[in-house]
Amino acid sequence: MNQIRPWCIALLAALCGTTFAQVKLRFVVWDGDVNAQVLRNEVKRFEAAHPGIKVNFETVTANYQEKLIAQVAAKVAPDVAMMDPGNFQRLARRGALHELNEFFSLTPDFDLSKYYKNLVDAHSLEGRLYVLPRDIAPCANIYYNKRLFLEAGVPFPDGTWTWDFQERPELREKDFLWVMHKLTKKSGSDRPTQWGFAPAWRELFRDMVYLQMGARAVDNYESPTRILYDDPRIIKATQFASDLALVNRWIPSDTEITNVLQSNARQLFTQQKVAMFQSGIWDVPELRKELRLGTPGHFEWDIALAPVYAEGSRAYPTGGSGYCILRQTLHPREAWLLTQWMAGPNGMKAMASAGLAQPAIRELALAEPWIPGPNTPAEQQIPKNRIITDHAAPYVVFSPTSIYWPEVGSIGSQTHELVYRGSAKANEVLPPANRRAQERLDALRKEEQLPLIDWRIGGVLGFVLIGALITWIYAPEIGKKKRTNRQRRDNRAGYFFILPWLIGTLLFTAGPMALSLLMSFADWDIIRPAKWRGLGNYVEAATFDPTFWKSLSVTLIYTVTAVPLGVVASLGLAMLLNTKVKGMALWRTCYYLPSIASAVASALIWKKVFQPDGGILNGVIYGSFGQWIGLDRLLLPFADATGRVNWLGSEQTSLFSLILMSVWGAGAGMVILLAGLQNVPQYLYEAATLDGAGPLKRFRNVTLPMISPTLFFSLITGFIGSFQVFSSALLMTDGGPNMSTTFFMLHLYRQAFLSLRMGYASALAWVLFFVILGFTIMQLKMSRWVYYEGAK
Amino acid sequence: MATIANPVDRSASVSRSGILAEKGSKALTQVVLLLGVALFLMPLYVMVAMALKDQSEVATTSIWAWPRQPTLTNFKEVLSNPNVSFALFLKNTTIIAVTSTIGVVMTSAMAAFAFARIEFAGRDRLFVVLLATMMLPGIVTMIPTYVMYAQIGWVNTFKPLIVPAFFGGGAFNIFLLRQFYMGIPRELDEAAFLDGAGHWTVFWRVLMPLAKPALVTVGVLSFMGAWRDFMGPLLYLNEASNQTLEVGLRTYTALQAEKWHLLMAGSVLVMIPIIIVFFIGQRSFVKGIVMTGGK
Repeated sequence: MNQIRPWCIALLAALCGTTFAQVKLRFVVWDGDVNAQVLRNEVKRFEAAHPGIKVNFETVTANYQEKLIAQVAAKVAPDVAMMDPGNFQRLARRGALHELNEFFSLTPDFDLSKYYKNLVDAHSLEGRLYVLPRDIAPCANIYYNKRLFLEAGVPFPDGTWTWDFQERPELREKDFLWVMHKLTKKSGSDRPTQWGFAPAWRELFRDMVYLQMGARAVDNYESPTRILYDDPRIIKATQFASDLALVNRWIPSDTEITNVLQSNARQLFTQQKVAMFQSGIWDVPELRKELRLGTPGHFEWDIALAPVYAEGSRAYPTGGSGYCILRQTLHPREAWLLTQWMAGPNGMKAMASAGLAQPAIRELALAEPWIPGPNTPAEQQIPKNRIITDHAAPYVVFSPTSIYWPEVGSIGSQTHELVYRGSAKANEVLPPANRRAQERLDALRKEEQLPLIDWRIGGVLGFVLIGALITWIYAPEIGKKKRTNRQRRDNRAGYFFILPWLIGTLLFTAGPMALSLLMSFADWDIIRPAKWRGLGNYVEAATFDPTFWKSLSVTLIYTVTAVPLGVVASLGLAMLLNTKVKGMALWRTCYYLPSIASAVASALIWKKVFQPDGGILNGVIYGSFGQWIGLDRLLLPFADATGRVNWLGSEQTSLFSLILMSVWGAGAGMVILLAGLQNVPQYLYEAATLDGAGPLKRFRNVTLPMISPTLFFSLITGFIGSFQVFSSALLMTDGGPNMSTTFFMLHLYRQAFLSLRMGYASALAWVLFFVILGFTIMQLKMSRWVYYEGAK
Repeated sequence: MATIANPVDRSASVSRSGILAEKGSKALTQVVLLLGVALFLMPLYVMVAMALKDQSEVATTSIWAWPRQPTLTNFKEVLSNPNVSFALFLKNTTIIAVTSTIGVVMTSAMAAFAFARIEFAGRDRLFVVLLATMMLPGIVTMIPTYVMYAQIGWVNTFKPLIVPAFFGGGAFNIFLLRQFYMGIPRELDEAAFLDGAGHWTVFWRVLMPLAKPALVTVGVLSFMGAWRDFMGPLLYLNEASNQTLEVGLRTYTALQAEKWHLLMAGSVLVMIPIIIVFFIGQRSFVKGIVMTGGK
C-alpha cells in the first residue's frame, strides 16, 4: 500500500499536468508598485517554466492581514501568500497554514541549510517551518552623509566602532557617541540645527541597546510566559535613548522629528538635518532617487555597520518576510513549486537585482547582483558597502512572534513613549507597565475549557430573538380598531415603498448582525469554530479589560464635544453659503474640499498645524498677536517643559486637537444643512421682515424651526457616527499619548484583527450598540423642538 | 407681531435700512468667507504642490513650499504606469459609483416616502430598527458579510458594492430624505389625493420634485462615498483588472517607500470628478423652492 500510493499520486499528477486543464494558483503579496512589478515578471518566468500552472498574481497594499483572514474564514483563501514572523503565528497556530517541511523532498535541489538560520527559526513554530523566507532586513545599517562627515572632520565609519553609556573622547571616531556629538550642531540658544543621529523609528535604537546588553523583552519569543520590561538593562536602555534626545540632544526627539518634517527619519536625512540614521536596507531605492546626482538635494552617502556595546555582543533588530502556503489550497504541490521559486534563487535574484531585498539564501547575499560588482549598473553601485548586510545577519533578533505580542507589547511601547517625551523616568513607569502587560498576557494565555457552540441552540436563540423583535414592532397594533379601506390601502402602499429596504435588511444586514450578537457570547478567533463563552466577554469588558472604561470615556468626551461643535459649524457655514453673493458655487466647493481631500494628505497637514515648534497653531498663539491678547498665558497650564503646548503630544490636549480637526470636516454636514435651508420658503422671511423681525429673530423664529428636521438628523447621525470614529486617531496619534486618544473603536479594532478575538470584539460592539441606542432614544424622546411642517 | 403699533411706517423704514443692511451683510459675508477659505483650501494646496514636485524635491523641502519648477511628470507617470492602470481603475470606479448612486437615490427615496407620509402597521418601531442598523460597528459584521458574499459567489465581482445599494440605499440616506419629506406641507398630497392620485403619483409627481435639493445631497454624498470607498473594494475585489482608484493608488504608499509625489498626483486626479459632481449638484441649492399652498 505504502509503495503503491506515491506511484498513484505521481501518475495522477502526470495526467493532470499533461492532459487535463491547467492548475490555477492565487498568489497574494503586500508589495506594491516597483516590488510588485519585479514579482509579476518573476511569476511570468515561473509560468513559462511550468506550463501546467497558471498563477493569478494579486497585490493588497493595505489591510493585508484583515483581508487574508476574511478569505480564510470564507474558504476562498489564496494558495500562496506573503507572510512575516510577526504575523504567521496567528494563522499557523490555528491550522490555516501548511507545514512546509513535508514538501522539501519534492524539489531535490532545495536545501534549507543555505538560508540564514535565524531567519528560518523566526518563521518556524515548534520546530516546523511555516513560511519560506524570501528576504532578511537587519536594521543594522547606519546611513551616513559623507559631506557632513567631511565638514566636521570625522573619518567615515568602517563599522568597527563601539558605544558605551557615555562619550569616550579618547576613542575618537571609534566611539559612536563621540561621532554623534561631533556631528551635532547647535545654535546660540543651545537648540540643535543638525543632529548627529536618528533611528528610523522610536524603539529601534533602544531595542538595539538592550539586545546588545544581553536583555530580551520576553522569556520566550515564540511562546512567552514572562514579560521582562522591568529588566534593569531595559530600563537603563530606555532612559539612555531618551536622554540622548532630551539631555544631550544628539538625537532628535519625537517633537523635533515632527517639527522638521513629515514622518520619518529618512526624510530628516535627505534634508541633511541628521548626519546618520539607522534603518534597514529597504530605504536604499528611495534614497537613490531622492539624492540622485544633479538634483539640488544631492550629496554623497554610504552605509556602515551599526556599533556594538563596548561590554556586550552584537545584536540588531530586524525584519524579514517570506511566502506561506494556505491549508485550504487544492494544489499544495504546485503551491510549493511556486513558493520555492519565488523564495528561492530565482525570486531572490530578481529582488536583489532591483536592489529591493537582501536574499534569504546566504550565498546569494554575498554575490552580485546584491553586492555591487563589475556588472552592476552605475546607479546601483550606491551604497558600496552593502556587504555589511551579511555581516549583520548572524546577529539579528526578530521581535517576539507570539500572537499575544501585538497587544501585550503595545503596553510597553506606550510607556516608552512617555519616557521618550520626557514626561516620566524609565525606572518609575516601566515596572508598573510590566506588571500590567504581565497581567494581560496571563489573562490572554489562560486557555479556557469551553464547549463548541451548538448551532441548533444558536438557531433557536436566533428565532426567539427575531420573534421578540417582531412582537415588539407590532405590539402597538394589537387591540387597534378594525381597519378602514383607506388604512388597508395605506398599509399595502407603505410596505410596497419600504419593500426594497426591508428585503435588503433581511438579506444583507440582519444575518451578519445576528451572527455578531451570537458571537458576542462566544470565544471566536475567526478561523477556528466558535466556542460558547456565555457572558464571559461582557464580564471581561466590565471587570478586567484595562482599556474598556478608558476608551469608553475617551469616546464619550469626544462625542459630546465634537458633535455639537460640528453641527454648529456646519450650520454657520451653511448659513453663510446660502446667501446670494457672487461666486457662491466656488465658495461652496472650496468649503466642501476638506471633506473629500485625501485622508493621508489631511493627516499630514494637521500634523504640521499642531506641531509645537513652527506649527501654524502655535505660530499664532506665541506670535505677537496671540501674546497681545494673552493666549500664551491662557494656555500655560497645558504647556510642556519648553513653555509651549504640544498639541498632539500631550495627554491633556491630544483629544481636543482631534476634536478641532473633526470640525474642519464640517463641509459634509454643511451640504446637508444647505439642502435643508432650501426648504425654508422665502415668503416666511418676507412676512417676518414686514412684521419687523430683525435678523436674529428671523433666525430663531423662521430658520431654526424650518430646518429643525435637518438639524435633528445631523445631531442623531452625528452622534451615531462619532461614537464609531477611529480613523483620525489611527492616522494621527495611534491612540496615544498614554491612551488619551484610544477610542473605543480603536480598541475594538485591535481586539478583532490584531489579537483575532472577534468574539470579544463583538461583545464590545454590542455594548457600543446599546450605548448609541440609548443616546438615540433619549434624543428621540426629547425631539419636541423639531418642527415638521408636514406632520399630521 | 401684532404688537407693532404702526406697521406702515415701520415697514417703510425697514426696507430702506434693509437694503443698506443687506449690502453690508453681503460684504461681511464675503470677508468672512475669504478669511476662512485659506484654512479650508490647505489640503488642496498641499496636495497640488506635492503633486507638482519631483521626488527629490518632495523629500528635501517643506510641504508648504511651492515647487521651484512645477512639473507634470508625476501626473504623466500616474496616468501611464502599466502596473497601476489609471484608465481601467477609472472605468471600474465610475461603474461602481454611478450605478450604486442610482440605486441609493431611487430606493432610499421610496422608503423615506413611506416612513414620512404613509401610516402603516409598525411604522414607528420599524423606523427605530432602521436607525439601529447604523449603530453596530461594521468591523464585527465584516467577516460574516464577507463569508456570505463568498458563499453566493459574489467575491471578486462588483456585486457586493452595487447590489445592496438597490435595497434601501442605507439607513443614513433614508433618514435624511424622510426628514425632508416631513418638512413639506401635507396640503400638497391631500390635494393630489382629492384629485384621485395614488401614493405613487404623490411620491413621483409631488414630493420627488419638491425634495430635489435633498435628493441631490443624497446623490452627491453617496457618489462620493462610493468613489472614495476603500475597505469595500479592497475586500471584495481581488484581481488587478477589477481594482478601483482609491485602492489602486494605495500601491504608492506601500511599505516604507511612500511615493508622496505620485500619491498626491493620483489623489488630485481622484478628487476632480467629485469636485465636478459637487459643483454641478450644488446648483440645485441656488434658489429656494417656491412653496405654493403654504399656510
